[in-house]
Order: sequence, then C-alpha cells, then structure tokens
Amino acid sequence: MNVEEEAINYLRRGLGSDVLDAAVMRERRVSVRVKPEALRRAVELLRDGYPKLRFITISTVDHGLDFEFLHHFHIGGTILTLRTVKPKEENTLESIADIIPAANFIEREIADLFGVRLLNHPKPRNLILTKDWPDDKRPLRKPFVGELPRQARPVAEALISTGCVAPASSFIQRRRESAGLPRTPPFTFADEESMKEFHGVIRGTGLDEKVGFDWKSGKLRYK
Amino acid sequence: MVRYASFLGCQIPMRIPSIEIASRKVFERVGLEAADLPGYSCCPEPVISRQLDETAWLTISARNLSIAEELGVNLMTLCNGCYETLVEANGILKGDPEKMRIVNEILKGFGREYRGTIEVKHTVEVLYEDVGVERIKEEVVKPRRIRVALHYGCHMYREPEGGDVMRKPNMMRELTRLTGVEIVDYGLERLCCGYPTMQADEEFSLKERLLPKLRHAVEAGIDAVVLSCPACHIQFEMGQVMLRRYGINYNVPCINLMELLALSFGVPYRDLHLEFHRSPVRKLARMMEDV
Repeated sequence: MNVEEEAINYLRRGLGSDVLDAAVMRERRVSVRVKPEALRRAVELLRDGYPKLRFITISTVDHGLDFEFLHHFHIGGTILTLRTVKPKEENTLESIADIIPAANFIEREIADLFGVRLLNHPKPRNLILTKDWPDDKRPLRKPFVGELPRQARPVAEALISTGCVAPASSFIQRRRESAGLPRTPPFTFADEESMKEFHGVIRGTGLDEKVGFDWKSGKLRYK
Repeated sequence: MVRYASFLGCQIPMRIPSIEIASRKVFERVGLEAADLPGYSCCPEPVISRQLDETAWLTISARNLSIAEELGVNLMTLCNGCYETLVEANGILKGDPEKMRIVNEILKGFGREYRGTIEVKHTVEVLYEDVGVERIKEEVVKPRRIRVALHYGCHMYREPEGGDVMRKPNMMRELTRLTGVEIVDYGLERLCCGYPTMQADEEFSLKERLLPKLRHAVEAGIDAVVLSCPACHIQFEMGQVMLRRYGINYNVPCINLMELLALSFGVPYRDLHLEFHRSPVRKLARMMEDV
C-alpha cells in the first residue's frame, strides 16, 4: 500500500464516520474531509501516527456562506490536506496550536484577515492588523451571501420549503374555500407524507446545500 | 372519455383560482376527465432550479411525472411555464438513460421511479386534438360578441427542433374563435409580456415589453386580452396597476382562455369567481351578458 492510501486508511480507522470524504487527488496529494468537531482529533492522530509529520500551513476559503479550512501537512513526501467546512454563522476556528505549535501564527493571521474567532488559542491577539482595526472590515472576508441573486431568493426559498412558488397564504386558502374549491389543490404542502418525500428529494439532489437553505428555520441562510 | 392528469402548477390555484374553477367546468362539459395529481410540487420553476442545478430540476420534474405515470395517464398542463419545464425534462429523461438513472437513484430512496412512459401536453393541445373542435363547438351556447387580442405566451411556441412554432398558438386561436369573439391582430403577438425580466428591471419590463403590447392592442380597438399563461396573466394585470405609478393608465380586462370558454358554454360569470382578477374581468363578463 502506498503512503497516500495508508494515510487515508489510518484516518478512517481512527475517526470512523467523522471522515466525510477522502481521495488521492494525484500522486503524493491526499485530501481528507472531516467533520469540524473531529479536526483536532485528526491532527492528534496524524501527530501520533507519523513521527516525521510536518505542518505546512492552513489555507482558508471564504465561500460566502461557509468557511473552508484546509490544514496542510507533509508526510514523507506526500501532502495531506485536512478539509473542514464551517458555517459562517459560527464564525470560529478551533485552534490546533497546542497540538502543533507552528500553527499559532497562521491561525492569528486567518483571524485577522477573515474575522474568524479563534477557539482555545493561547494568544488570540491581532497579528498583522492594528489593534484598533474594525471588526466589520476584514480584508479577505466576503459578504454573507449564497449563489442566488437577490431576486431569485424568495422563489427558491418557497420552492424548497413548501414545494410551491406562489404564496400559500391562509388568506388565499380561505378565498378558495369560499369559492367552492378545496383549501388547496393536492400540493406537497397539503400532505405531510408528500412534504417529507419532497424534502427528501431536495436533500438527495443537494439543492438545499447549494442555495444555502436552513432546514431549522425553513428559510435561506441569507436575505 | 378522454383522461389526463391535470397539472395545475402554483400560480393558477394560489393566485388566480378562477382559472382552475373555469377549467374544471370546461373539462366536465366536454367530457375530459382531469385527474388531480396527489402530492405534486412546483414543476419546478426553471429560471432558478434549471440554471442552478440540472439534476435537481430533472429530479423534481421526474417526481411530478412519476405521479401521473402511477395514475396511468398522460399529463396536461394549464400553465405555459409548467408545460415547458415538464415537456423538456420529459424529453431529456427519455433521451438520456444516464440522466434517467441518476434521477431514479434519488427517487428510489422514496419508493419512486419514473419509467418515461407518459407524454406531456398543453391543455390547448388536449382540447384541440383529443377533445376536438366539433365537440367544443357543441357546448358553445352563448357566443361572446367582443373584440379580443390574443397573447399566446412565449412557451406556447416551444416545439421540438424543426417543428412548427405556430402549431399551438394556432390551436389557441382556433379555440378562442369558437367562443364567438372577434380576434383582432395587433402586430405584437409574439413580443414577450415582460414577466421574466420583471425582477431584474421593472421599468424595462413594464415600458419596453408590456406597454407596447397594451398600446397596440388598445389602438386596435379591443375589449379584452385573452391569455393562456398565468404568469403572463399576472404580468398583464399587475403590470397595468404598476404602470399607473409612471402616469400611464390602462385598465384592459385580461381573461384566460378557459374562463372565456366557460362563459361561452353558458356558465354564469358569478360561478367563476372572477373577483380573483386584478383587471375588470367581471365588468367585461357583465357586459358580455348584455350583448
């Protein structure tokens, strides 16, 4: 077994279902996506399992609604990247500086440039920005918006939440009734089972994640 | 008896239910059995879902198509937008086994499968081709002596490559003519009503799309506009209200083909609940009663 596959199997054994996705991108390049809550454990596993492990850096990508953190490591000529995606509503990055001291400065730089709050960092002070730098003006932070243009948001929200893009208000339902029609036609939202099935289909296609739909509130994560 | 599954879409039942009422009455009169689709959803709206994620668009469409397939009948739509979505999705799924497989892989998790055994038609096609002009003519007991402009709606021109784009508009024209009205050509029938551009640029949508149509139609001396698409209908009715903000006053009655057919079949206008309209359709119906 080569180094790349061995590293993936090692992390899978140690983290189980906390490994969401893993792939050998090309020769000597491995990407492992883990749950954010498993990041520190993954780093500890790498440190304990690979005595010659070398920490390279952390990259951060602002996807609009989420931050993607990429922790890059060097293992015997192979670069292994631990990927975690965190919603921007949380706005936090779990520090690994106590496990890998070399991560200290890059984490502070990320906090400065993206406005992310560091958790459990030994010295969570500004590194490259001045102390009085305003919180709402971070150089690399993008606005909190998803892929949909403003005009399309209400339609997408209605489509996913009810399966119907016209307003399903009780006012119109009452008016339908008074006109001798059923309160609603046999729409998805008129029947619990159909609604459940429709939402399952939406989840199955990944449309909810793509547009940034929050199932708890039944709304898009952005206005 | 002709039997179809009736896809009502979102806009008709929730914004202009008088079209649903009229359709049900028309179908009953001409012997067209229109089965409801239990648990159907938006077709889905293509501007967002199709551009954003083709698989999601196809899967939601396939779910709707599978409900009709389960009923063992072909599907007809009242709305031009739903027609376009479902016809195109159906065509893609039938012609691309890999896409059909991906879609069914998702649907399988919910005990569903779309096998691609049904056809999708616009109600205009069903009335013209399956029910037939002669059968409809038999039902016309109150020909309406008014002058109307037709707005077919862009998706009505959708045809397979090489097809005659005027096939369905001509059917709609013929069905309209059966009601006794005089069709007035105003020259801008094929211009879009502006509905799709409304969100992007309201002023353009109203002044560069809707307004020229209204102006030409009114100058041609019409009493009403006849439409088949609920989205265009909303644009024509709400657009006239919105144009008043720009100091432009039009108050043209906008009536759906199904409503016009129902009236010509002798259905009393009160039974159609035309109060759902935002243009003076009730006034038009009263006027027609007197003519």
